Amino acid sequence: MSEMSTPGLTGISLVEELCLLAIEDDGSVASTAGEPAFGMGVVGACLVELCIRGRLDADVRPGEGDAGPQTILMTLSQEPTGEPALDAALAYVAAGPVRSAAEWTHQLFPQAGELVRKALERLQTRGVIEAREARFMWVLKTRRYPVLEGRELQEAKLRITEVLMGGTIPTPHDSVLIGLASISGLLRGFLSSAELGRLQRRIDEVGSLDLVARGVEDAIHEEIELRARGMMIPIM
Amino acid sequence: MDINVDNRANVTIASLDGRLDFEAADTAQVKLRELLGSASGKALVLDGASLSYVSSAGLRVFLTIAKEAKAAGVAVAVGALQPAVQQVFDISGFSKTKIIDIQSTVDDAVRAVTR
Repeated sequence: MSEMSTPGLTGISLVEELCLLAIEDDGSVASTAGEPAFGMGVVGACLVELCIRGRLDADVRPGEGDAGPQTILMTLSQEPTGEPALDAALAYVAAGPVRSAAEWTHQLFPQAGELVRKALERLQTRGVIEAREARFMWVLKTRRYPVLEGRELQEAKLRITEVLMGGTIPTPHDSVLIGLASISGLLRGFLSSAELGRLQRRIDEVGSLDLVARGVEDAIHEEIELRARGMMIPIM
Repeated sequence: MDINVDNRANVTIASLDGRLDFEAADTAQVKLRELLGSASGKALVLDGASLSYVSSAGLRVFLTIAKEAKAAGVAVAVGALQPAVQQVFDISGFSKTKIIDIQSTVDDAVRAVTR
C-alpha cells in the first residue's frame, strides 16, 4: 500500500496532529499532556503511522498460556521515513525482539518525551507552530508553542467533529486520531463535558478501529490501573 | 490476493481470495474502488470465505472502502469470514461497530444490502 494513503488532509503525521491537539489557545501545552495516557498515545501514534507508511504491520497471534490473542508488530522495512519521531520509534522496534503492540507501547513509553519533542520540532519546521520562551510567575521559564495560522489545528478539529457529530465514516487515520485523542483526554480541549458525554458511544464506535491502536489502548488501561493500584497501597 | 467478481441481480459480489496484508492492500483497494464505481446505486458484498488472512493494513482497506461506499450511496456488507479473520475484526473493534455490516454467510450479506 502506498505510503501516504491515509494521512490527515494537511499531510501532517498522526503523532504531529496528536501533539498539535495538546496545544492550548495561548500556546501552552495542555495539562493532560503530562499524563501517561498522552505519552503512551504519542508512542501509539508513531507505531500506527509506521504501519500506515509500510514500515510495520500487525498480525493477531494466539497468546501464551491463559493470555488471549495478541497483536504482534512486525517490521516490514527499516527504510527511514524522514520524520524524526517516526524514525526514532522505528529504530527501537526494528532493533528489538518481536513484541505485541501493547508491549512496545510500554517499552517505548520512557521515550515519549523525546518523541513529543521531535514532533513539535517538526511542526515548527513545517511552520505550523513556533516556540517561545515565557516566564511563569515571573521566575520559572516555560516554553509555549503558539499555533501560527491555525489551519492545521482547525482542520483536525473539524474532521473529528464531522465524524463524531456529522455521522461520516472516519478515514483510518482519523479513526486512530479520535481514539488516541479521546483516551489522552485531548478531546476535552474543544468539546464540552456535556458534548463528550453525549458523544461517548460514537467515540467508542469509531475510535481506534485498528489492531495497533487497540493494543495501545490496552497498554494505557493497564498503566492507569497499575498506577491506581500503586496509589492505593499506602492507604490500605 | 485475487478478487473474483460475480453479479447477483443488483448486488456485486467480490470474493476475496488469499492474504490481505500490506503487500496486497494497495491493489485490493484499487480493485474494490473500481467495483464501487461500477456498483453505483447498487450494493457490494465482500465474500470472505477464501480470505485466509487480514493484517492491520488489510483492515484499513475495509474501513476506506466502507467510507467511500457510504459517500457513493452503495450499501456494503461482508460475509462468510473465516474464524481467524473474524478474530482480527473482533479485536480491532470492527465487529462491534455498525460501520461495516458483517454477516455469517454471503447470502445473509446479500439480504442485508438489499433490505
